[in-house]
Amino acid sequence: MPRGSIWQGSGPFSRLDRALRRGAVVALISIALVVAAITTSIAYFVDWLPENASEERDGIDLVLWVTVGICLFVFSVVASVSIYAGFRFRARPDDDSDGPPIHGHTGLEIVWTAVPTILVTIIAVLSAIVLAENDSAKGKPMVVEVLAQQYAWQFTYPENGGVKATTLYLPIDRSTKLVLSARDVIHSFWVPEFGQKQDAVPGIVTTIIITPTKVGNFRLICTELCGLGHALMRTRAIVMPQAGFDRWVRQQRQGGGGATTTGGETDAKGLFASTCGGCHTLSKAGTSGMVGPNLDDLSLNPEGVRQQIRRGGGGMPPFEGQLSDSQIDSLVQYLTGSTQ
Amino acid sequence: MTETTTAHTPAAHHDASHEPPRKRHWLLTAGWPRAIWMTFAFFGLGFLIVVGLRALLNYEPVVDWHVIIVAAALTLAPLGFLAGLGGFDYWASYAIGNPTKPEDHSGHGAYSWKDYFRVNTDHKVIGIQYVATTIFFFLAGGLLAMFVRAELARPQTEFFDTQTYNELFTVHASLMIFLFIIPAFAGLANFVLPLMIGAPDMAFPRLNALSYWLLPIAGVMLLSSFFFPGAGAGWTNYATLSVDQPFGNVFFSMAVQWAGASSIMTALNFLVTIITMRAPGMTFWRMPLLVWANFTTSLLVVIATPFIAGSQFFVLFDRIMHTNFFEPGEGGYVLGYQHIFWFYSHPAVYIMILPGFGIVSEVISTFSRKPIFGYRLMALSLMAILVLGFSVWAHHMFVSGMAAYLRVPMMVTTLLIAVPTGIKVFSWLATLWEGKIHFRAPMLWALGFVSMFVIGGLSGVMLGAVPIDIAVSDTYFIVAHIHYVLLGGSLFTIFAGIYYWFPKMTGRMYDERLAKIHFWLTFVAVNATFFPMHLIGIQGMPRRVATYEDQFANWNLFISISSFVLGASFMIFVYNMIVSWKSGPIAPANPWGGRTIEWLVDSPPPVFNFDEVPQVVGNPYDFGVKGARHAILNGDRVGAGELEPARTP
Repeated sequence: MPRGSIWQGSGPFSRLDRALRRGAVVALISIALVVAAITTSIAYFVDWLPENASEERDGIDLVLWVTVGICLFVFSVVASVSIYAGFRFRARPDDDSDGPPIHGHTGLEIVWTAVPTILVTIIAVLSAIVLAENDSAKGKPMVVEVLAQQYAWQFTYPENGGVKATTLYLPIDRSTKLVLSARDVIHSFWVPEFGQKQDAVPGIVTTIIITPTKVGNFRLICTELCGLGHALMRTRAIVMPQAGFDRWVRQQRQGGGGATTTGGETDAKGLFASTCGGCHTLSKAGTSGMVGPNLDDLSLNPEGVRQQIRRGGGGMPPFEGQLSDSQIDSLVQYLTGSTQ
Repeated sequence: MTETTTAHTPAAHHDASHEPPRKRHWLLTAGWPRAIWMTFAFFGLGFLIVVGLRALLNYEPVVDWHVIIVAAALTLAPLGFLAGLGGFDYWASYAIGNPTKPEDHSGHGAYSWKDYFRVNTDHKVIGIQYVATTIFFFLAGGLLAMFVRAELARPQTEFFDTQTYNELFTVHASLMIFLFIIPAFAGLANFVLPLMIGAPDMAFPRLNALSYWLLPIAGVMLLSSFFFPGAGAGWTNYATLSVDQPFGNVFFSMAVQWAGASSIMTALNFLVTIITMRAPGMTFWRMPLLVWANFTTSLLVVIATPFIAGSQFFVLFDRIMHTNFFEPGEGGYVLGYQHIFWFYSHPAVYIMILPGFGIVSEVISTFSRKPIFGYRLMALSLMAILVLGFSVWAHHMFVSGMAAYLRVPMMVTTLLIAVPTGIKVFSWLATLWEGKIHFRAPMLWALGFVSMFVIGGLSGVMLGAVPIDIAVSDTYFIVAHIHYVLLGGSLFTIFAGIYYWFPKMTGRMYDERLAKIHFWLTFVAVNATFFPMHLIGIQGMPRRVATYEDQFANWNLFISISSFVLGASFMIFVYNMIVSWKSGPIAPANPWGGRTIEWLVDSPPPVFNFDEVPQVVGNPYDFGVKGARHAILNGDRVGAGELEPARTP
């Protein structure tokens, strides 16, 4: 029982209760409704969410809206009490008197402990359900291996003949399980329109489920600071109908840039596109990376290129050990041959 | 006083003022000249140890500057500086067998401005040293933020290369967290807390002095990292990026050690002071909430801070000693870094806000002329935040790839913290209810804090929900959230505290009009700067990037312009502080009609705070209770309360 004198002198009604009865309740509720109306219409009419392009984003947006609703409710209550108190209880400058010695009110304190507990419980339960749903694939998912490195993405399709690409191609309405790993430092995979995000961590394998629901061409962003070129470690996620996706896979397997192809030129071209293209522009390989120098503008000598690939330097990581000697040889040949 | 006779009487050992000072050469007496040559001497010593050992062990190269900088420049040289300044003199003298002088007050009090630049054992001087130093680093960190915003005003790189840009935001965050918010609270509490509990000083004045002098070392180390590129992995310094960074990263790792040691020592000091040095009658349930807040904060610091020290040592060892704590190819565990780091750094969020809760409770009660609503629940909710705060660290790691089952329990504890935090907010609002509210500058900052912290708290609830966190983690939404709670939260409470106790600290009043202009300008600029960040974050702008897509260009330009206004608003504050301290009107003992003990003594308080131990006889916030007193001082003097002539707040 709080000490103090809120019960003093007036039977069952405390000062607090009397204050509340004096029209304050009406004023408080009116202010709260006005604040709620303004904030809710801003939240509702301003287009502040990214496009929703996956089933997982559905769940995320559901949690988001429920939580935003609860937050706006709490905000409106707090704002209405502050605004009302600020105007109603402002002291005149010459007023030296003290306010009434209200030390507490057990009932109120129980209410504002219990109500927030209930509200966060709602958020927690809903979140746990959505999380479990977003963690599970619809049907048997297609697996895509994602390799992140400074400052490029590489996607491998083991169920489609090991096709490799630097852009993520996905069929619509089918769950894809991304299996992420990192070569050097931590990176993070994010497509805002899909909602889902997952770090790629050196030494461990992480996974994430994505079920695209819209055909389109979306941003694919690294969101974990990974060094000099972090802001530019970007590519695209392209969602296409199943038929289009199958056609793309077929094309890749027949000629364009797959690991399964043989023959020096295409092999080196594919290797360049997947390993170097994230950072370097080279028109012959169709890459447009902006981190490192534009190789179209440079005249390259074989020994310099070999050293640069092996040892790195100037912000470029060393590739010795990551690429075999013969791979480096073919890259050197491809680069010095194709840029002269 | 004749020198020859008194020096040998036993009584002289107990009274420094009677003991003749031993004449030493000026290069050998504690002070800046000795600090400077000892810094170089200790650096030389470190150099010789490293080179000598490497030569002895046949390591190549013998002169390895990386090891020399870590061991000699970042470890031994600062120790030499501290020793030269006199930080260890008393203990060293004791250690070599000299008689101890328990009543040695030679290092106490400030009689000229020079006394603020030496090892001073007076908690009030140390408090002012802390506040002034932290404001300096706040301005430095703010300047770095201005550079960051200048770069971000347009989508492409404008002024800095990306490595420099990464270092700008890294050092900005580190300065603000380790050299401003945490020590600024420690400084305010250093000044006020002993007065509030009726103690003559902190429990360990010499330790107090030492913990202050560690701070400038840490700050200079962080700032000098710009000359040695490498502190560019964010203030979180995640492995393995931190291990791969250029050499300058060790400046970050070592600066955190010095700042961390400082806060651990201060926290121990607060704990012992609060537990053992309360005036008679000051029971735990009569302590002002600021004391409660610093009690819980100190517990957090003592338990958690060693973890960040550990995490940075591991990174340092991986770099310098070629260990493999975080090298996955050699059996290292990358996520281990994050677990250790956040086991400190989440409680650190509460270290950065609980003292602010304490300040705001004092200010709101005083300027509403009402008792704090639900005092005991306010104190208990601090303890609840303390306990829960240790069980939520992995909510920073929902997308990290840690064990998936950890996410739901961590979400539940995270969301539950909203409950004690909500209790505090509602209790402050209820304190306003029916009060006689005086909108003086400290009160404006306190109420500004409540509104900003509600917004930051609600975005925190959103982030606590795992699915939302997955979508917006590592975006500008996070940047918005952290700035609402640390800038709209912690910074506002620091300003509330500085304005509130400025008369007590300096004996002068600040300029109320300038203080209000400062508040309103900052308040508007904070919202204009940080609210739009929620939006661009949700829409897809990641944090820690120097370049971004054109679709965010307009918002970023608006944010940058707002941030420059925000930066300029602090110039008003600096001007007000300097001019008011020099020539403001003389402050009375109790300009606000506060009821806690610090308002019973003069402004500024006498060197030893109280002529006589105060007697605590009642609750700290009994506004409006007839005849109620919190404390009685000097027998005949009337405690603050009904009987004291009312003052205009």
